[in-house]
Amino acid sequence: MMDLFSELFDMFEGMDMFSPQTVVQKDNRVCPVCGHTWSDFLRSGKFGCGECYKTFRAGAEQVIKQTQSNSVHAGKIPSKSSADIKAKRRLEELRKQLKDAVNKEDYESAAKLHAEIKAMEGKGIK
Amino acid sequence: MIWYNDLNDGIVISTRIRLARNLDKTPFPAALGDKQRAEVTAKLHAAVLESNSALAVEFERYELDNIARNKKISMLEEHLISPQMVDGKGHSVLVNKSRNMSIMFMEEDHIRLQVIMGGYCVDEAFDMADKVDDVLEESLTYAFDERFGYLTACPTNAGTGLRASVMMHLPALEITGNITRVLQSVSGIGVAVRGLYGEGTNAEGCLYQISNQITTGLSEKEIIQKLKSVIERVSEMEKQARNILAKKHKAEIEDKLYRSYGILKYARSVTSAEAKAMLSDVMLGQNMGIIKCDGKMTPLELIIKTAPAVIMSDGKLSPEERDTARAELIRSNI
Ligand SMILES: [Zn+2]
Repeated sequence: MMDLFSELFDMFEGMDMFSPQTVVQKDNRVCPVCGHTWSDFLRSGKFGCGECYKTFRAGAEQVIKQTQSNSVHAGKIPSKSSADIKAKRRLEELRKQLKDAVNKEDYESAAKLHAEIKAMEGKGIK
Repeated sequence: MIWYNDLNDGIVISTRIRLARNLDKTPFPAALGDKQRAEVTAKLHAAVLESNSALAVEFERYELDNIARNKKISMLEEHLISPQMVDGKGHSVLVNKSRNMSIMFMEEDHIRLQVIMGGYCVDEAFDMADKVDDVLEESLTYAFDERFGYLTACPTNAGTGLRASVMMHLPALEITGNITRVLQSVSGIGVAVRGLYGEGTNAEGCLYQISNQITTGLSEKEIIQKLKSVIERVSEMEKQARNILAKKHKAEIEDKLYRSYGILKYARSVTSAEAKAMLSDVMLGQNMGIIKCDGKMTPLELIIKTAPAVIMSDGKLSPEERDTARAELIRSNI
């Protein structure tokens, strides 16, 4: 074997790894849309419908955490549900910025951010 | 142009983007009976075609239950449908005029929107899929959760529902004995490596599919960026291996590749494994400028056309007859 690439392998170090584990969960609930149970999921590895994710939320979270890097969706949002979700994401972002501004003692920016956050919260966004 | 006729750098052969989408409050295909499945399909077709004149003009609809198997096989060769849709029931697909986009219905998910193109064009293919996804979403309500993202039958697709993959031809890494190490180093970092026809299939003819494994927790752009950095590095390693073969082992590599070309040009019986290995050699010879192919089909096209699923399609040939048929197909087209 020609050893051509030793130095190139360093680049792969430090990236995320995961090792799947068995998910154990006792649950007698039945999905109201498709009629599947948690043991149906354990047997097939597949959900019966979108509602299953909500019915078995804790289990779904665990499964996704084990097989993926992070359990919170950070990608595209369908435009129909987007206004609400985008507002929530914006609010989270503003809160983060406010914290940073306070840490940097940038009180002028902090005051502006605070006002913007209050305004959003006033509209019922949490 | 069909992607497998596209000439490119000979390392990244094709790019594929797939978005998995499902309808809100509707059981996934596997949880539907035949009758319900037909009803949901009708609803999807109506929503996609009737409410959207742009898509209706651009796409042709195929009801796979009413299509001959050999026609489905050629759609599989073009990667417009998945292997399970060839013999499954109740599947349908919309294919655009340029035949680089297909919208598959009732595969594992209600909708699988796919773009396939020759060469290395992940961003372009993603943008195209994303735009059509926006159009579909105008007339459908997708199963979506703020935390989990787009909801899919298999949780490994949930989140973005995005699978971006490229097919790479890596013969020099195989010849130099470095392939296992290279591929091991990329799997387990959120990138999966599979054979030509996807999950559960072997890498044949040195063709590998490299795709993202992580579909949630990252944005679509981040997933694509991560995959691209892996592809570019693997591609760079293949290039280096080819350079070394050309510089330090010129006579040996020319002999090896020409032997394969010679056998394929004249042999009267060729097994599937032989065909793939030798066509891969010819493809490498062509891309390294060693062999000039002047036949009717490219070596890649021949790899696809001589796959067992394709050559067996009429089901009447014995294994010996199949090898003879394969040899003849290659001989007259290479
Ligand atoms: Zn369900």
